[in-house]
Amino acid sequence: MPHDHDPLEEGPALRVRALEELMVAKGLVKPETLDSIVEYYERETGPRNGAAVVARAWTDPEYKDWLLRDGSAAINAMGFSGFQGEHIRVVENTDAVHNVIVCTLCSCYPWPVLGLPPTWYKSPAYRSRVVREPRAVLAEFGVSLPEEVQIKVWDSTAEIRYLVLPRRPDRTEGLSTAELADRVTRNGMIGTALV
Amino acid sequence: MDGIHDMGGMHGFGPVPCDQDRAFDHDWQKRAFALTEALAWSVPFCADEHRAAIERIAPANYLRLDYFEKWTVAATALVQAAGLVDPQEVASGLKRFDIPQGDHPAVGPADILAATKAGAEMTFPPTTATPRFAIGQSVRVLANSPVGHTRVPRYVRNHVGKVIADMGVFQFADSMASGQGPDPQHCYTVEFSSKDLWGSAADANGCVCLDLWESYLDDV
Repeated sequence: MPHDHDPLEEGPALRVRALEELMVAKGLVKPETLDSIVEYYERETGPRNGAAVVARAWTDPEYKDWLLRDGSAAINAMGFSGFQGEHIRVVENTDAVHNVIVCTLCSCYPWPVLGLPPTWYKSPAYRSRVVREPRAVLAEFGVSLPEEVQIKVWDSTAEIRYLVLPRRPDRTEGLSTAELADRVTRNGMIGTALV
Repeated sequence: MDGIHDMGGMHGFGPVPCDQDRAFDHDWQKRAFALTEALAWSVPFCADEHRAAIERIAPANYLRLDYFEKWTVAATALVQAAGLVDPQEVASGLKRFDIPQGDHPAVGPADILAATKAGAEMTFPPTTATPRFAIGQSVRVLANSPVGHTRVPRYVRNHVGKVIADMGVFQFADSMASGQGPDPQHCYTVEFSSKDLWGSAADANGCVCLDLWESYLDDV
C-alpha cells in the first residue's frame, strides 16, 4: 500500500474509517458487505465488458442493429447489467460523426460496461470544457479529427448512460472476436480515443 | 441549484488531467464508495438525494475535496438528516444512542449484490403520461433555476433545441431528490447546436445532446 502514509490522504482516510466504524456500531452496515461491493465492481464490471459488446457489434451486424436500437437489452443479453446501466444508449462513430460522453453535473457513467469512471472523467477540466471545446479536449488526449467530422457531445443529464461504439480499425478482418475486444480501449468507448 | 457542480462551459480549470487514469488511487476511496452504496440501502437514500447532498457542499470545499471524500461528506449528511446519528457522534466517531434496528437493517453481501446486478427501477409504463412533445419538435429549456436539485445544466437554459428521442417515462430527479416522490414524466433527448450554445468560436457542425425531463421544457 504505497499511499498509506501520504499525509495528504490521511485526513480523508481517517474520516472514512471513522464513519465506517460508527456505522458498524450503529448496525447500519456490515464490513463484509463493503468487501463484497468493492470486489464486485473490481471483478465483474469494467471496460472489458464494454469491449466484448463492441467486438460483437463489429462482427455481428444483427447484434449491432439491436445494440444501436436498444442498447440496454442488447447489453443485458451479454450478461452485463446493474446500477448505472439500467438505460444505455450506444452511439456509433462513423467517418462523418464522432461521439464523446460527459456528465457535466456529476460523474454519470455506464458502470456495468465500463466500471467506475477514471479520475480525469470526473475532473472539473473535463466536465467544464468538453461541451464547449471538444476538439481542444480531444487534442489533449492526442485525438485530431478532420473539420468536416461532426463532434457530438452527449451530456448524461438524466437516467440514460452512454457508450460509444468506436469505428472498427482497418486491417482487422482476420481477427477473432476476442482479439478484436483486446483492441478496444476504455477511452475509445468514452470517445476520447480512436481505436 | 446554481452551484459549483454545474460546470459545463466554465473557464479556468486548465488542461484535462488525462493521465489520472484510474477509478481509485487509494484503498480508502474504495471503502468510501462501498460505504455509500451500503448506507443507501439501510438509511435509505436514493442516488438523486446523494447527488443533491454533494451539491450542498460549499463551493470552495467542493473544489478542494477528493471526489470520494465528497461522497462520504454527502452520505454522512444524509445519515444525519435521517436522525440516525448526531453531530457529536460524527465528530467523535463514538456511538451515543441506539437506533431502531428493524427500520434500518444493514444489508448483507448477497442482498446488495443481487440489487446491484438488478439495477434500480426508475421507469413507468409509457401510458403513465401522455408525451407533450414529439420527435423533431423544437423546444425551449425553461429559464427556471430552482434552489434545490435539478438536472438542467445552466448552459442550456433558455436555449432552443430539437427533440431527437422520447426515452419513455421516468421518475423525476428533482422530485426524487427532495423526497417528493417520483412525479413520472417523459424524458426526451434534445440536441442543441454548439454555435447556438457557445457562439462563434464553436464548430459550425458541432452539437451537444442532453436528456431532459418534460418539466424542463416549453414550446417554442
